[in-house]
This record gives sequence, structure tokens and C-alpha cells, in this order.
Amino acid sequence: MIPGRLLAVIFMAGLLLAAGMQNRYDATVNYFGDRATFVSLPSGKALKTLSFGYSNLAADLLFIWSIQFYSATYLTNRFDFLERVYDTITDISPQYKEPYIIGSLIMVYEARDIPMALRLLDKGSRHNPDEWFFDQDAGYYCFKFLKDYPKAEFYYQRAAAKPGAPAFVKRWKAHLVYLNDDPGAAYRMWLEIYENAGDAMEKAAAFNHLYQIKSEIDTGLLEEKIARFRENFRRWPSSLVELIKARLVSALPSDFSGNDYIYDPEKGTVTAARIFRWKRR
Amino acid sequence: MQEQSQQTMKALEIKDLKKTFRSNFLFKKYRILKGIQLSVEKGEIYGFLGPNGAGKTTTIKCILGLLFPDQGEILIDGQPAHSVTARRRIGFLPENPYFYDYLSARELLFFSASLFNLPAAIVRDRVAALIHQVGLSGYEDLKLRKFSKGMIQRLGLAQALIHDPDLLILDEPFSGLDPIGRKDLRTLILSLREQGKTIFFSSHILQDVEMMVDRVGIILNGAIRREGKLSELISRSIQYYEIVCANIAEKELAKIQPNFVCRDDQFFITLASDADINLVVESIIHNGGRIAAVNPVKMTLEDIFFNEMQPHRPATTAGGADGARTSRSEGAGRDNQ
Amino acid sequence: MKMSMKGIAINTFKESARNKMFYLLVFFGILFALSSKLISFLTLGDAMKVLKDTGLAAVNFFCVLIAIFTGINLVYKEIEKKTIFNILSKPVSRDQFIIGKFLGLALTMLTALAAMAGIFFLFVWMSGGGFDLKIILYFFMLFLELLVIVAISLLFSSFTTPILSFIFTVSLYLIGHIMWTFNEFKTVLRVPFWKHFMQGLYYLLPNLDKFNIKNEVVLNTAFNPWTILFSVLYALAYILALLAVTILIFRRREFQ
Repeated sequence: MIPGRLLAVIFMAGLLLAAGMQNRYDATVNYFGDRATFVSLPSGKALKTLSFGYSNLAADLLFIWSIQFYSATYLTNRFDFLERVYDTITDISPQYKEPYIIGSLIMVYEARDIPMALRLLDKGSRHNPDEWFFDQDAGYYCFKFLKDYPKAEFYYQRAAAKPGAPAFVKRWKAHLVYLNDDPGAAYRMWLEIYENAGDAMEKAAAFNHLYQIKSEIDTGLLEEKIARFRENFRRWPSSLVELIKARLVSALPSDFSGNDYIYDPEKGTVTAARIFRWKRR
Repeated sequence: MQEQSQQTMKALEIKDLKKTFRSNFLFKKYRILKGIQLSVEKGEIYGFLGPNGAGKTTTIKCILGLLFPDQGEILIDGQPAHSVTARRRIGFLPENPYFYDYLSARELLFFSASLFNLPAAIVRDRVAALIHQVGLSGYEDLKLRKFSKGMIQRLGLAQALIHDPDLLILDEPFSGLDPIGRKDLRTLILSLREQGKTIFFSSHILQDVEMMVDRVGIILNGAIRREGKLSELISRSIQYYEIVCANIAEKELAKIQPNFVCRDDQFFITLASDADINLVVESIIHNGGRIAAVNPVKMTLEDIFFNEMQPHRPATTAGGADGARTSRSEGAGRDNQ
Repeated sequence: MKMSMKGIAINTFKESARNKMFYLLVFFGILFALSSKLISFLTLGDAMKVLKDTGLAAVNFFCVLIAIFTGINLVYKEIEKKTIFNILSKPVSRDQFIIGKFLGLALTMLTALAAMAGIFFLFVWMSGGGFDLKIILYFFMLFLELLVIVAISLLFSSFTTPILSFIFTVSLYLIGHIMWTFNEFKTVLRVPFWKHFMQGLYYLLPNLDKFNIKNEVVLNTAFNPWTILFSVLYALAYILALLAVTILIFRRREFQ
């Protein structure tokens, strides 16, 4: 009979020694080198067949694996099959929404391939026509990285039209319309948001946008008229009222708060009382 | 070893053995053994009796270290049962034994021998002798899967004897054997006693027990109810007298003695004591009847057994072997056998 | 003491060697190894590589099957059929029983492996291949892996039913071959508790993939001798730990 205590010691010592050997072993072995050993991935259709009815589980596993794989930063070539991997996952389970979102995130922020992300999100939107967030994400990526505002507007228009799209999507849509040099339309959209605002914050945000857009439209118009005045009279008007006297405008606009615009007779410029700078161009 | 103390030592002694089982999920406790107390003298055959579920096999497994007792002491020749030296003295035959059916009888015996440190020459001789002793000559190379139950039982006995143990523990050795097998086994056990071995066996087949045991212990619900020499337990226990008669009208007989039954044209009269025998016999003959037999009916082990098992026994019979005397059997002590 | 362990070991070997299942698996192992010839016909170029790949895979697979099945069955059957009563009622300690069983199983695995390996070599030689010492090394590493598997199945069968033992052993076998992914977890997980948990599992669970040197053998790439040494020591230490805990569990086991 071996004493029980000795057995416990053997057990612990054995495990410790094994762990030590594991460490030494790991130190001698480079599991991948710096390149992933990606041989091949069967097509989504083939995998769906191979999963024998557990296609959701297969998609889960592949998705979980993909997250681990794409966060292994030491693999320099890990993005070689990125589109293929997420295409496969979403083929197996097209209604599984996370892979579209996470996959596009990886494509955008890790692989820096925005068109690839847009293709994936388009696919998500196609298979889940009632979801707004694929379009919202696509719109945002277009705005942020491609600076393609018409395309971003297109996505936000589509997102805002979907049921359950939150208010901020509509705000983004309005903002993009504004960015795409249609302040009049943007103004109407913001006005609608302002009037239907669900809470004080949204109302305040809409107010600011409205203030900005209205100021921009008004000051633009006024400065145009001032320039005309200078052409006619060879001097800056001494005040904005002179524009009415000169019959260049019928009445002076006020800003969205109802205050007058501030006129600088030295330079001939018109500014609003509050200044916002949103136009990121 | 001190020789003098070994003289007085019991072959097997169990003191206050308790064992509780737990059902796995409910943690409900089942008290299987509630303080077993028994002792087996050297050189005797001890019958360990009890109905199914009384705790016989549990007790035996505790002796052999297959189960760990909650409480109590088990001594074999004065040694704790779990010690290797104690285990060397025991030969064990489990209930419904099963041996590796891919082995032959000879291979099994050699395997059993390999578990003891026995010299090869002794093992060879002993295997041959045991095969002969248990009557398996000619079958030693047959694979066990072709053995009958009786043959397996004999082989089981042979493997229990391979190291020439002092104490044999047999769990239900008679169960499942035909009458011939049982007789053979009885003869074998008796011859082992002749060789000076102590035999402790459990059983619920009382007939076999009665024919060979020296002492019995009756276990019921996890406790020993009675223990003692079989002769002491049953010899003085003449329960009643029976008079068998014929050629007499039932009406007449009813006048003499109303306590009778009729079977096959014979009447069986039951008398509580021998005091009335003469009177009843005379009356029957006087009425033209014919006496076929007058029998003292002794208590059998079965009667003792059922007496013990009765749930509402009178308090007077509740004690040990000596306390269980009724007035009618008083003074009728006589050695049977 | 030693004698009884030897008796149990030899009897264990006899039991598996007289089991039809054992022969069936050895037979299939050989059959599949031979069928690698057919597969090598289908390839272009280095047919010997394909032949070795499939042959070694077949030997590996069937040896693992034998290890799992016999490892689980042998202790459980002793308990189920109560033959263990005949052993433990004799002056044989539970420790000796477990060690004897392990040695018997090791002998069984050695025999099975030797039979399959012999036929594999013969076959490679008949197909025009040369004798390769590295393949001997491969079989040796496979043997170590089989010993670990046998020790694992022995551990499980000392306290659970065969079905559960089978599931546990197979799971550990599969996990044992993807242990490197645990390293990924360690880098990904942020919560310290889970990080340590995964770290603990990484060292606790058997890491079997290190015994798998098929690719190196077949592709004839260079070995790091230290890698081999650490793997061997790992196997020995791990088996020792497994046997110790098996004995500790088995000592407490009651046989109702």
C-alpha cells in the first residue's frame, strides 16, 4: 500500500512536471510560424450538408472560431480568406445576424477593406430585409471611411425607411442630406424630427441642426445680397436694413432662435449669434 | 505470534458492525447493518442465516474489505480484517460466482494463485489436487464459458482454497444448485471441516444448513437475532406431539380430542404436552381405532427462523438462545443427533 | 506484492487478447493500412507519401479505438461481473489492482501496435519503400499517447459507467489534440478569472498533439530532439499523476 499522502504528492508532482514539460515543449515549438496554415474551407453549401441538420451549430462554431482566428494578431496573412470565411458562415445560416456585423467590423477596422464590408452588409440586408442596422452600418462606413456621402445617404435612406429604425438613423439621414448640399431638404427633415422629437435631447439636437442649417442658408443669402449691394454702391452696407432700402431683400431673416444675424460693416460678413461647425469638408 | 493467545482466539469475530448506504441523489440513508455482533470458533461450520435483504452479503463484503464499515471491528484470528495477513487466511466464494469465461479452469486457478506469493511447485501440485478434490478432473482445460452452474460453484470453491486458507467464507453457496450439486457441496464442506478449516457461510436455504452446521447466527434487518449451537437452539424445542391414527369415525374422535386434521383417511391429532398421550391413545384403541404413529414434533430451524421473523413476537421469546424457552418444551431437553 | 500485480497484468492482457473486438479492430487497422495502397494509386507524384500518410493514420486511429475500448471495458467489466470480488478478497491491494490493470493494458497496446506496425513496415517495404527509423520514433510516440489514453480511460472507468467513461475519454482525446487553441483563449480573454481558468485547463488537460509527429515523419522534416524529450517526460509525468489519482479514487470505492 502506497500511503495516501504520497499518492497525493505524486499526483501533484506529476501534474506540475507535466505542466513544466508543456512549457518547455511550447518554447521549442512555433505552432504556426507567422503564417496561418489555411488549407481550404468547404463552401457554405457543402458545410451545410456536412453539418447533418446542425447548421446553426456549425455556423456558431465557425463564427466563434473566426473570432479567435481573426484576433490572432501574430498571423500576418490571416485576412487572406476573410471574405470567404464570412461568406461561408452567412451561407450556412443567413439569418444569423452577428456574423454580418462582426465580420464587417473586422473587414473595416482590421483588414481595412470597406467595399468588402459593404458587400457583406448588403448580403445581410438582402437576407434580413426588415433589419435596419446593416444599412445603418454600411452608411456609417461610407460616411466615415469612404467619405462617399451620396452612398452613405443612400444607405441611411434605406435604413430609415425600415420598421423600428431608431431616431438617430433618421437624424443621420437628415445630416447626410445636408452634407450632400441640399440644405433645404435637410432643413425640412430636421424640422420633422424636431416636431416629432421623443425627448428633450433629441429636440435639442434637432434644434442645433436647424439653427445651423437655417443660419447657413440665411447668411449665405444675405452675403450674396451684400455682395450685390457692393457691386451697385461700391461700398459695404452700413447695416443690414440698407439691403431692404436698396430693395435687395423684402425682409430680414432671423436665426432659428428668432434673433437677428450679426453684421460686420467693416468686412461685409454676416454671422449667426451661435456658431456651429459641422460641415466636415 | 503468541501461541497461547491464538488458542483462545476466534476464527472470526465481528463487534458492533454498522453500515449505512446512501442513495445517490436523495441522500436518503439506509441503515443496512445496525450493529452486527457474532463470533465463529475455530474448526466449526457456522451458518449465517437470514432472509434476502437482511444484510448477509453486506456483512461478508465488510469482512472482505469490499465495503468499508461505518463502525465496528472485524477480527480474523485476532487480526484486523483489512490487513494483508488477515486476507491471506481467508478463502472467499462469492454469491453466484462469475469467473473470466475466457479462461480455462486450470488457468483460473493459476491466476488465483498468482495473487498470492506462492512457490510455483506448490501451486502446480495444489491446482492438480484441488481440481481432483472438487471433482473437475477432465474439465481442467475447458473454457469456463462452457461450465455449468454447479461446475462453476465447485471451481469457485477450488479458487477459494488455492492458498490453503484457515477460514472459508461462502456467500450463498447452495443457491441455484440442484439437489445433487447441493449434496456434493455439503460433503465437500464437511470434508473441509475434517481438515480443520473453519467455514462461515450465509444461506437462506435452511434445509442445507440444518444438515451440517455447528452453530448458526440469525440475522434480521441488519441485526443478529439469535446465535448459538444448532443443537441448543432446536434440540430442546419439542413443539408438540402428534398422534396419527386411522379406522375411527370422525365424530368419535372429536369427542376424545377436538384438535385434529384429516388427511388421506388418517387423522393427525396435535397434543400440546406428553401428559395426555396415554389417555388419548387408549381412548382411540378403545373406540376401535388403529394407532399409526406417535411423534414428538421438534422445532426445526425453519420454525425458529419464522418465529424470529414474526413482527409481533411475545416479549418472552425476544432474548438470546437461552431466553427463548416456552413452558411446553421445558424439561424436554435431549440431545438429538 | 509484485507477483500479484504481474498476475493481474497478464490476466488483463489475456482478457483483451482473447476478446473478439480486439482482433476485429486490429484486423480493421491492418485492412485500412493496406487500403492506403488503393488511395496512393489515385495520386500523382509521390505515391509513397500518400501511402505512409494513410497507413499511419489507420494505425493511429485503430490503436486509439482499442485503447479507449479496452481501457474502459476492462475495469468496468471486473466490477460489473463481480470478478473483482475474487481479486480484492485476496491479499491484493487496490493499488496493485490498478497498477496491474495499467500494465496489462500497456502490454495489450504494445502488442496491438507491434502487430500493426510490423505489417505497415512490411507493406511499405513491399511497395518499394525503405526502412525509416523516424517511423519507429513515430510509433514510439504513438505508444506514449496510447498509454496516456489508457490511463485516462482507467481513471474514468474506476468511478463511472462505461458510457460516461467513453464520452469523457473521447472528449479528452479530441480536446487533447486542439489544446493549442487554449493559448488563443489566454490572449483573447480579458477577465482575469477566465484567463486563469483557461490557463489551468491548459496544464490540467492532456496535451496529446505533441505525440503526433505524423507530418514531420512523412514530410521528413527535421526534429528538435528536445521536443521529443519533453514530450516523453510529459507523458511519464502525466501518466504518473493519472495513476495516482485513479488509485486515490479507487481506494475509496465500495463494491455493493
